[in-house]
Amino acid sequence: MGKKNEKTLNEPVSTLDLKSMIHENALFFDKLIELIPARFYLSNEKDKPWFQGLSKAEKASAKKQSRENIKKARRDRLDPEKSTKTTLDLLKENLEKEKVIKESDEEEIEVKPIMSDLGNGEEPSVTYEELRQRLRRKIEELRGGRNTGGSDKGKKKIEKKGNVQKKRKRDSGEEEKKVTSSTDRDNVEKDMEEAAKELTFSRVKLGDEEKHGKKKKRKLSKFKELENATKLQEAKKDPEKGEVIAKKHSWKAAMDRAAGIKVHDDPKLLKQSIQKEKKRHQKNVEKWNERVETTEKLKTEKQQKRSDNIAEKIHQKKMRRIAKREKKLLRPGFEGRKDGFINEGST
Amino acid sequence: MARLRNRKKKVFLKPIVKKKQEQQQQPNVDPITGNKIPKSFVFSRGKLPGPLRQLQMDLRKLMLPYTALKLKEKKRNNLKDFLNVAGPMGVTHFLILSKTETSPFLRVAKTPQGPTLTFKIHEYSLAVDIAQSQLRPRCPQDLFKNSPLIVLSGFATGDEHLKLTTTLFKNIFPDIDINTVKLSSCQRIVLLNYNKDTKLIDFRHYSIRLQPVGVSRRIRKFVQNHQVPDLRNLQDVSDFVTKSGYGSESEADEEAATVTLTSDLSRVNRASTKSAVKLQEIGPRMTLQLIKVEGGLCSGEVMFSEYGNGGNKKKPDGQEDSEKDNEMEGSDDDNEEEDSDEDIEENEEDDEED
Repeated sequence: MGKKNEKTLNEPVSTLDLKSMIHENALFFDKLIELIPARFYLSNEKDKPWFQGLSKAEKASAKKQSRENIKKARRDRLDPEKSTKTTLDLLKENLEKEKVIKESDEEEIEVKPIMSDLGNGEEPSVTYEELRQRLRRKIEELRGGRNTGGSDKGKKKIEKKGNVQKKRKRDSGEEEKKVTSSTDRDNVEKDMEEAAKELTFSRVKLGDEEKHGKKKKRKLSKFKELENATKLQEAKKDPEKGEVIAKKHSWKAAMDRAAGIKVHDDPKLLKQSIQKEKKRHQKNVEKWNERVETTEKLKTEKQQKRSDNIAEKIHQKKMRRIAKREKKLLRPGFEGRKDGFINEGST
Repeated sequence: MARLRNRKKKVFLKPIVKKKQEQQQQPNVDPITGNKIPKSFVFSRGKLPGPLRQLQMDLRKLMLPYTALKLKEKKRNNLKDFLNVAGPMGVTHFLILSKTETSPFLRVAKTPQGPTLTFKIHEYSLAVDIAQSQLRPRCPQDLFKNSPLIVLSGFATGDEHLKLTTTLFKNIFPDIDINTVKLSSCQRIVLLNYNKDTKLIDFRHYSIRLQPVGVSRRIRKFVQNHQVPDLRNLQDVSDFVTKSGYGSESEADEEAATVTLTSDLSRVNRASTKSAVKLQEIGPRMTLQLIKVEGGLCSGEVMFSEYGNGGNKKKPDGQEDSEKDNEMEGSDDDNEEEDSDEDIEENEEDDEED
């Protein structure tokens, strides 16, 4: 097999043949690339989601995002209408992107076209929309004659009526709009915007806030807080601006307290807590000293006991030796140790 | 920590707090947002008539799950006793109901030193009455397992005291973390609407229900109720499926109130389909008027008063004014029905009056 190939290569190669050969090779390689799934062939930065080091909220959002991405990708893959992007197409896209980036180095603004919800998905169902409009108008006419027990719907009802009136005003004003359905949608959105200006919702914690927040205020030591509080009190007693300051401070303190932030502005309470802290500190110091004492005592006791035991042992040893010596002299018929000469003095 | 708490409870508590087993393990700090979860006590000062006691119960249910549902209070309990218990248990808000000859009052206060807002209750309806007035009252099993959302309207362009009201109410309920919140856990909503002309605040409490939109009524009912429909008069099943009747009265509202769900809620409400948000009223309904804002907890200087300084001294049945500790700066003498019911002090006061 190999020799046959060599044979073909030995023939004189004209440029046309070269081109066609290159073209064939290119096609062959393209087909190979298409066989490899894009995941393995193209390096994607977002392939491995990095979860370490994020806070809990960020992790949750990242996981949610990745789950959604997976779902979306699956849908896109199995969607017969959407074009199937082969690896080759993705590769080509990447190359084009690089080209574009190289060309426009300075400007890297991505212009996202504002997707308005207005026009999307409207075309196929225009007539259906018209039917719905007619139905709605009929219902409203009927409703006008009916007496609704306003208690249940209450505020919502009033808003709805307001919306209807606003709609009528706007419809008369804007005669240029072509499609009726889009005006209604517009009006609803405008109403929602206006209403949203007046509405306040419960506290929502967004995960990104932690990054943008300013440096958290360091907790001042109680002593410093006491100083601040006394200063504030004196400022309040000031005859000129005292009242203004007092009022401003009380409102600010009330708002902070309502929001859950602790406000320390009463010097009396602060003094009390400083005293308590001192006492606690004292107690702890005493306890610590006690503990140190007891350990020392135990130590000395043990050492004492040890040295006593050792001394005792030595003493015992000596006694044993003496006893042993004495035993030797306890043989039968022994009258005892020599205590001195019988005749005192030498004659 | 829970065991410690139990021991403390039995030792010196005068107000007896009975909590269910599950509630004893309630976390103090929300594990996800890391903030402290606000808990509340709803109680009354003085003897309340029957409907007001029901209102108190309704308010307690409203504040579930972060409140003491079976809080028992004795006549001799002071505000101080409640304060003492509130500290170790992590209770941050007090809702206090009281009644005078003119009308009932509701005080919303933040422990331990927080501001107190006094509302006069002009009108109120009990939850029972509202349920009786509805054709199909609705109370699913786990309606009170999660805390409600809160929406305030008309407060934004107000003065300081309105802003304070907004902040206080926003913080009575725990935060919502939009990343991790489950749509199925937002089942109730509390609405507060401020009317600039009459200066009255409407208080409403609804339950949220999601209904899929774009499905014909018959099919929807069939799927939800699992009831086999009556096909006697129809020739073919396709008649059943494609027959479109007139839309219900509320379908016209749906245009504005449809949302696209981001997650599956139930068998019927699937993700990325449109659903209509329907509110059905439960719970008490009140008309409130803010008459006083105090800097301390039922004490302290009066920062805002509807009727001017020094006015509106209330003397609820049997209770007398007695405010001995004035810790806050420059407290005026606006001290209404304070707490102490103790016999000794009452006698003293009687003597003074005589």
